[in-house]
Amino acid sequence: MSRIHEAAGSVSRRALMAAAVSTVAMAAFGGTAARAQDGLGTPEQPIEVRMIANEAFANQWQTLMVPEFNKAYPNIKVTIDGVPYVELLAKSMLDATGPSPTYDIIIADDPWVPQLAEVGALMDLKSAEAAAWTDAGYDWDDFNAAPLAAGEWKGVQYGVPLRSNMLMMFVNKALYEKAGVPVPTPDITWEQYLAQAPKLVQDTNGDGKVDAWAIDTYFVREPLTPTIWQTIMNSNGGSLLDENGKPAFNTEIGIAALETHKKLLEFAPTGAVSHGFSESLQAFRQGLVATMFNWGSVYKGSAIDEKTTTLKPDQVGIQALPAGSGGPGAHRGIWNGTVSSKSENKQAAWTVIQWLSSKEGEAWHSANLGVFPARKSTLAAKPSVEWLGPVFVGLQQAYDAAEKGKMWRIRHPRSDAAQQILADEHSRFMAGQIGAAEALQVAADKIEKVLD
Amino acid sequence: MRTMTAAGARKVRSRTWTTLADVMSRWAFMGPAAIILGAMLAYPIFYTVEISFSRFDLMTFSAVEWIGWENYAHVLDDYRFWSSMKVTLVYLVFALPLQIVLGFGIAFLINADWRGRGTVRALFIIPMVVAPVVAGGIWRMILDPLWGIMNWLIGLAGFAPLDWFGDPNLAMAAIVIIDTWRWTPFVVLIATAALLSLPRDIFEAAEIDGANWWSMLWSITLPLLVPIIAATFVVRWLGAVKMFDIALAATYGGPGGATNVINLFIYEEAFRSLRFAESAAMAVIVLVLTMVLTGIFLFGTRKLEERC
Amino acid sequence: MTAAAFDAPLRRRSRLGRKVRIAAGVFACVVFLFPVFWMVLSSFKEQRDIFTVPPTLFFTPTLETYISYMQRADISRRLINTVIVAAGSGLLSIVAGAMAGYALARIKLRGAGTIGVIILLSRGVPPIALAVPMFLVARSLGVTDMHITLILAYCTFLIPYVMWLMRGFFLALPKELEESAMIDGCSRFGAFFKIIVPISMPGLLSTMIFSMILAWEELLFALVLTNRYASTIPVAIAGIAGDTVNGANWGALTAVGTITVIPVVVFALLVQKWLIQGLADGATKG
Repeated sequence: MSRIHEAAGSVSRRALMAAAVSTVAMAAFGGTAARAQDGLGTPEQPIEVRMIANEAFANQWQTLMVPEFNKAYPNIKVTIDGVPYVELLAKSMLDATGPSPTYDIIIADDPWVPQLAEVGALMDLKSAEAAAWTDAGYDWDDFNAAPLAAGEWKGVQYGVPLRSNMLMMFVNKALYEKAGVPVPTPDITWEQYLAQAPKLVQDTNGDGKVDAWAIDTYFVREPLTPTIWQTIMNSNGGSLLDENGKPAFNTEIGIAALETHKKLLEFAPTGAVSHGFSESLQAFRQGLVATMFNWGSVYKGSAIDEKTTTLKPDQVGIQALPAGSGGPGAHRGIWNGTVSSKSENKQAAWTVIQWLSSKEGEAWHSANLGVFPARKSTLAAKPSVEWLGPVFVGLQQAYDAAEKGKMWRIRHPRSDAAQQILADEHSRFMAGQIGAAEALQVAADKIEKVLD
Repeated sequence: MRTMTAAGARKVRSRTWTTLADVMSRWAFMGPAAIILGAMLAYPIFYTVEISFSRFDLMTFSAVEWIGWENYAHVLDDYRFWSSMKVTLVYLVFALPLQIVLGFGIAFLINADWRGRGTVRALFIIPMVVAPVVAGGIWRMILDPLWGIMNWLIGLAGFAPLDWFGDPNLAMAAIVIIDTWRWTPFVVLIATAALLSLPRDIFEAAEIDGANWWSMLWSITLPLLVPIIAATFVVRWLGAVKMFDIALAATYGGPGGATNVINLFIYEEAFRSLRFAESAAMAVIVLVLTMVLTGIFLFGTRKLEERC
Repeated sequence: MTAAAFDAPLRRRSRLGRKVRIAAGVFACVVFLFPVFWMVLSSFKEQRDIFTVPPTLFFTPTLETYISYMQRADISRRLINTVIVAAGSGLLSIVAGAMAGYALARIKLRGAGTIGVIILLSRGVPPIALAVPMFLVARSLGVTDMHITLILAYCTFLIPYVMWLMRGFFLALPKELEESAMIDGCSRFGAFFKIIVPISMPGLLSTMIFSMILAWEELLFALVLTNRYASTIPVAIAGIAGDTVNGANWGALTAVGTITVIPVVVFALLVQKWLIQGLADGATKG
């Protein structure tokens, strides 16, 4: 600095300016070149980044998302390995805990971030190191609070939302009309919903046999089934854990919510007690049920895609689950992009998920693959396709509800163990083997031990 | 003298050599199997036993602290473990005898000497080849009370549809049916081969002696088949104990825990709940029980083989 | 054509009895194949036609599921991997297992019986308990995601089965066979490979088909030990069934299911001829 000041005395102002600009340019250019060599690859030496993801979307990402990403970053080769959902956590854990993991990027489901972070597998995406690789225009504050929180554990941001999802209520408007019941509004309550349900169990073709029902959703023994119960409980002001992290669901609100979940079976198709994600989806797509509580992302396959559904777009409504005393219900399910803490290509890995979660990447992602965005700006913008309009309205409602009622699974390094216990006790109750109070008591005792 | 000693020594050495070569050639039969299994299984089994007595560290996937029987105490204290054991027992008691009897019976039927025999034999293996996930799914489609063809047929006959996967007893029945559908073909495959390789001359002799087919079946065929029936039973038993894929695909272990067989529970504890130490403790318990029961079966087999 | 020995008296007793027997056998086969028929039928349906009430028998068939899924690179690569792994582990286990089974059945060998029983008892370990430590070993040796790793892992459960089944088959053989061969100057190996193996062809081939099928459909080890380059079809199937985006695509599942069944059935049909051929040869030699 002092030298420039000295020089200022002897050289003209213009010459000085020129010199300064060129110095900056040199620095910038040199910097980029050096960085390209370390982190983002060159045409001669591309960087290979490997990602482990859910098999359900790995192939779609590999064939559609990666080429789009490569338009912006041609020197980063991304290879995506798909693993079936139920084994993905264990497989990611096994790999990430090794001395030199195969995968640079781990795509982690909502409750997995604490589990992976606790074993030191993930990189802090807001650390100084990562910040240096973060684009200046990357707007952290633009994310909705609920989806961004899914990537956080103990105050550290380990993940960014790549595929956001919410448990929502799907409505088959045609069946409502047929039954002469008003189509639900976004502020429908559980009382109203359950009062209408009996009328929606109906005989639509007049042959004397019931052929349409009010509801289908998760009832089967599986870890995601308790999320329905939890949503009912949350929307009535109940919560899974208290502020000390002890089970707090074993209350009257919890018991009532469990009873409500079971009561839904009365208005559900025969055999619904063994239904889960796929089965309820099939029933809804076949036009057999008037409502379905399921993940919002199935909207496209249920209302738009003629190969998979018999329903038409204008027939299908989507909104948050009915409201309890505390407001409408939802449940968060965010796929987080995380970077392995032991990766040798951290910069490139972060660049991939940074691009996909940026305003630009997210807009492309939702417009072309129908994936739900997490950013306020993407949700507020006019969607590229018409059907996304009402979906985004419902989604924003669900984000707000989830944020308000803390509607997500237990955040803890042993979250999945606790969820499995909930699933077991929930299923015993559904099968009529024990009462609601006992089920929650057993679950609370077991979960307290597991989380301890 | 000297030459004689040398010759004697040579003789002794060559005899030792022959004995040694003989022992070697005997062991060479056992060798490959023993070496592959020793190399591949010694550490994994040691590891499982070790972590079952330890606090497990997910960060390194290893045992960090010896805690004695604590994991076992946890497991034995969990009602889910006991109910899984009970469910497994029920499944085995129904499925195993059914499969063995059906398998040998069908093998006897399709082994009749006719042109299509080979084709029928080959087609019969298909149920085994269908991946468990797909098999579970197809059966769900067939048995579903809403859109399943089985209940549609039952409905045509005028009966109310059965909720196969909603009722605990029917769910277990469904698991037994699916498992029997999948594994009877294995018994058929082995049994037809066994029937094919029976020595013909014994039967011809018996026939000349005027024996009828029943007495031949009872006093010649069955005794000759005892080792292979026993072997099929033991192999099927060891396979059935480990069954969890069908339960996972067809019933998810539900309703309640009605079809949550022990291996499904162990799998869930390890791969879903990431409780590897408890899972290992259960694995060791199951290993010991399986060993004891297999030992009893082998003892029984030995007795049967000796008697025949 | 060789006849199952004890058919002879039955055949003489009544033609009708034989016909009833064949009809019953074919009926059993049809019953067992019905779910397979349903699988193949569903594989030609659009997803929306699969779950209809009542079940649809008449629909516009589509080949699209086949085409779209075969085009996905990972299906064809995984199919090739599955063939390599199933053939490799099937062959390795039949050789090692049959020899061990022979040792148990026929060779007097102090300690071999104990080893044999230990090998068999090792099957009592739940596979989940083996998969994780095997992965840890493979990782420290740097051999994860390789065919040979999977082949050897499969051998751990195939060899005990093969050994025990073949022991049963060998026990049923008359003892004089190899005794006479060895008196004729055959070595122990010579007697085994020249006399015993040919005459045990039905058992050997059936056992090999069984072990290949087990390897063909194995999921857990494939899932844990492979990532990409050695990944097999069952992993793909599990992924389609557990599709958390669009729900289980039963069109695709049944199509992939059908694709995986075909090679094994063709193989079994081919082997069938060879089996009877082998038996005839063995019989003449024996």
